Amino acid sequence: MLMTLIRRELLDNLMTFRFAAAVFITLLLVVANTVVLLKDYEQRLTAYNTATQESYQKLREERVYSRYAMDLIVHRPPNPLSIFNLGLDKQVGNEIAVYHAFVPTIWDAVKHGADNPFLNLFTSIDIVLVFQGVLSLLALIFAYDALAGERERGTLRLVLTHPIQRGHILLAKYISAMLCLLVPLLISLLLSIILLTTSTTISLHADDFLRIGGIVLTSLLYVSLFYLIGLCISAMTRRTSTALMLCMFVWGVLVLVYPNLILTAVDIVPQPNTQISAYHQIKQMWEELNREKKLFLRNDTVLGPLSRNGEDWGFRLKGGEYSFLRDEDKPSTLLYFYQSGFYAGKIKAESEPHVPLVQNYYGFHNREIVSTVNRTWLVRKPALEAIYVQPANLGQMLLKFSPVGLYDAATEAWAGTDLEGIQDFFSTVQRYRRAVVDYFYDKKIFESRQWFAADEGTADWDALPQFAFHRSDTDINAKRALPDMLLLLTMNVILFTVIMLIFIKSEV
Amino acid sequence: MWHITKREIYDNLNSLRFALTTVLLLALMVTNAVRHIREHPKRVQTYRDAVTESSARLTAHADGSLYKLAQYGPGNFYKKPSSLHFCANGGESILPDTIKVGDPPVFATDSENRVILQGVWSLSYPDANLQNKNVGPKVSQVDWAFIIGSILSLIALWFTFDAFSGERERGTLRLMLANSIPRHTVLIGKFFGALISISIPFALAALVNLLLISTASTVHLTTEAWGRLGIIFALALLYTSLFVALGLLVSARVQQSAVSLMILLLMWVTLVVFMPSTLASIASSFSPATSFDEFWKQRNPIEEDLWDKYDEWLWSSKVDDKTLRGKSAFFTENAEREERRHEERLRYRSSQVYRARAITSISPATLLQHLIEGFAGTGFERHLQFVENTQRYARQLREFVADTDRADPESPHILGVREGMSKKFITPESVPRFEDTLNLSRDFNTAAMELLLLTLFVLVLLSGAYLAFVRVEV
Repeated sequence: MLMTLIRRELLDNLMTFRFAAAVFITLLLVVANTVVLLKDYEQRLTAYNTATQESYQKLREERVYSRYAMDLIVHRPPNPLSIFNLGLDKQVGNEIAVYHAFVPTIWDAVKHGADNPFLNLFTSIDIVLVFQGVLSLLALIFAYDALAGERERGTLRLVLTHPIQRGHILLAKYISAMLCLLVPLLISLLLSIILLTTSTTISLHADDFLRIGGIVLTSLLYVSLFYLIGLCISAMTRRTSTALMLCMFVWGVLVLVYPNLILTAVDIVPQPNTQISAYHQIKQMWEELNREKKLFLRNDTVLGPLSRNGEDWGFRLKGGEYSFLRDEDKPSTLLYFYQSGFYAGKIKAESEPHVPLVQNYYGFHNREIVSTVNRTWLVRKPALEAIYVQPANLGQMLLKFSPVGLYDAATEAWAGTDLEGIQDFFSTVQRYRRAVVDYFYDKKIFESRQWFAADEGTADWDALPQFAFHRSDTDINAKRALPDMLLLLTMNVILFTVIMLIFIKSEV
Repeated sequence: MWHITKREIYDNLNSLRFALTTVLLLALMVTNAVRHIREHPKRVQTYRDAVTESSARLTAHADGSLYKLAQYGPGNFYKKPSSLHFCANGGESILPDTIKVGDPPVFATDSENRVILQGVWSLSYPDANLQNKNVGPKVSQVDWAFIIGSILSLIALWFTFDAFSGERERGTLRLMLANSIPRHTVLIGKFFGALISISIPFALAALVNLLLISTASTVHLTTEAWGRLGIIFALALLYTSLFVALGLLVSARVQQSAVSLMILLLMWVTLVVFMPSTLASIASSFSPATSFDEFWKQRNPIEEDLWDKYDEWLWSSKVDDKTLRGKSAFFTENAEREERRHEERLRYRSSQVYRARAITSISPATLLQHLIEGFAGTGFERHLQFVENTQRYARQLREFVADTDRADPESPHILGVREGMSKKFITPESVPRFEDTLNLSRDFNTAAMELLLLTLFVLVLLSGAYLAFVRVEV
């Protein structure tokens, strides 16, 4: 009996104009946007490749180790799944320096030179956004007259004269409508995946298809939730026109009004000034280190007279070419460090006796820097979390009161473009920085002659640990997406039960 | 006709959608006003503090020799926040609100770290707000542009989707046309009926919003601002009538009101949500993925090395006329080159933005967004105006320095070098000050094209609706 009902509903739905329109519009929007997004991705990939090449070559042009400060730069590759949900992929910086004087974080990253930051004035788009707007609308359009329409036409009474459970009628309607809604979803996704695979620049792994599967599953839950919302309204109203109007109102509120309204009402803009004490603490640690350095240099019997007022600019070594200063002072990201040094081409014989002392000084000083950085990181990390991550999480949480927010968060997690996914990259960079520092310790590079002079052998950049970043495994994506998906599922179940109760008790 | 309009309005006033619309618009407008009242004083305060600090810097530079003013120039420039910020946010988080005047560049120091060669100030335009490190979810602020652009247009469709199809379904259309009323009168009556019924809740909500904002003691709206608000309100009506016309057009052609609503909503999603972003992506993919530096190198393959050009004078410590002139030319050319580079970069990037704006203008929602931004004094156009204001002032200040120097007969008139300039004291009061201004007539000129396009849209859709309704069978 259930099968008969489903067949009837399916035929009813498939032959309608709205079904044709649904398929057509979704296909059109998804395909058009895939083409655009693919092009955009390719551009970002080209920019990434060029930037990586440039950094690689620039680093190899350096002859002393201390110059790595300027040129050991790693780049964040664009995420191919950002086509599905852009998330933070384009917004966050994609170029970051690796240096022992600071711990690299998401907030220290900058953008490649090729981007025009003004173009961010325009809103960006992804496939999930298309689904979010269009599929929810279609689900409501399929649902609004499911019960109210039959009641109006009197066919509901007719069906109920047969010995059928009311639950079966609901189930049949639900299943057939979901099957119909699956058609535009799957066809459009299929087309966009075909487009993606024909492109030579984008390479999708087996894992990526699993992630896309996760996105499809989440989309299904989302569409089903909207269908049930529509069904609920349809069960409660007597007339189709009222149901239609209410459905549109609910859609407008959930998709358009609520997300924007709530985040306008609740301010989630980061407030760096709240953690200014942490910044001063960090600055103090560095100033202390600097004082100690000056004290050390002034008191040293040999280096004291050589250093100018406690500054390590060259130590009057004959053959010193130039001094450098690398420092950052950014209260908004609590970044503060200060590192000076010098570079010597060929050290003359008369200065040769001082060289071991200078080497010794740098070995000692760089170790001090690394330990200072470790101490500042203990302050900086929680402060950065308080400034940036907490408001972001609050915003995410507030958005999750609407299915749109849940859907967006879950698909972002699948695509790996959510905050955690992006943070994965920066944790990898932090690990890489530790690896580089360890390598410098192991090979005694901080206290080597190659740290500042290139006359007896130059820096060997190829022996340096190589940076490699792999996106997190699918099970981690799944673990991040699961809570939101479960919430969506629970909402589905609750709504279905509510509809059942309303429908069973309602008079025909 | 007036009769039909009245009937429509009465019909709508009693309906559920009217009540829901009123509640929705009120909620949005009140949130908008509360946010503005909370944020605006902070914005103004930040601006005032910054301006005071910058003005103090200029005073410090001008208090003493003319050389110091010529070398250090003014303080940083800050963009004046618009009092109509609640109408359009205008990408506030992306556009920079400062133009920096860097410290004069130090070209050389001696072994004791003392400056021996220092240039003169130049303007540098920051690209975009790189301080924006927000990793939170991206949503659009609820400002008037959003309320009108997205919500009001949706409401317009909501009020008109069953204008004809609903009456046809109920059979009242046949009844009405049985009377001796020309069809175009029916159409126009319906058009105004819907437009007025939408304007009532919108005007009410806008009124509450403005009442809240104008009664707050911290926010002050000038007469000009009220004029601008009037223009924005008129824009809202124009934009709404576009969607009313669209609704009537589809409703006249389609038999069932449900189908008509579906078509209208899909059109709305395409026009308001997808077209602006998709077209912007297409437009930005036209621009090559080269960085500005590469672009600059291509444009200026051989850049004359200023160091080589002025080498013979830079390192001499003589104070004769020729040496000083050499140094002065080096400093000025260097500052000019820096400034030109920054300006070129801004122009290069603005041209990309303009291209994207031109393409997205196909969507009326973007047109409206730009128009409201223009009249509210926020957004990209306003940013460029701010840049222009700064450039004009920079010229003015440089002329002031040159004129003051020229007025002193004892000075050798070599600008940018201490020994070559007037030794007379100047007072800070005599130096021109910078003021960031907004110009309504300029805003009108830039908006004229977009205004025309929007009106054209409305006219085309209205005549479309007319044709559709005249030819349709009841």
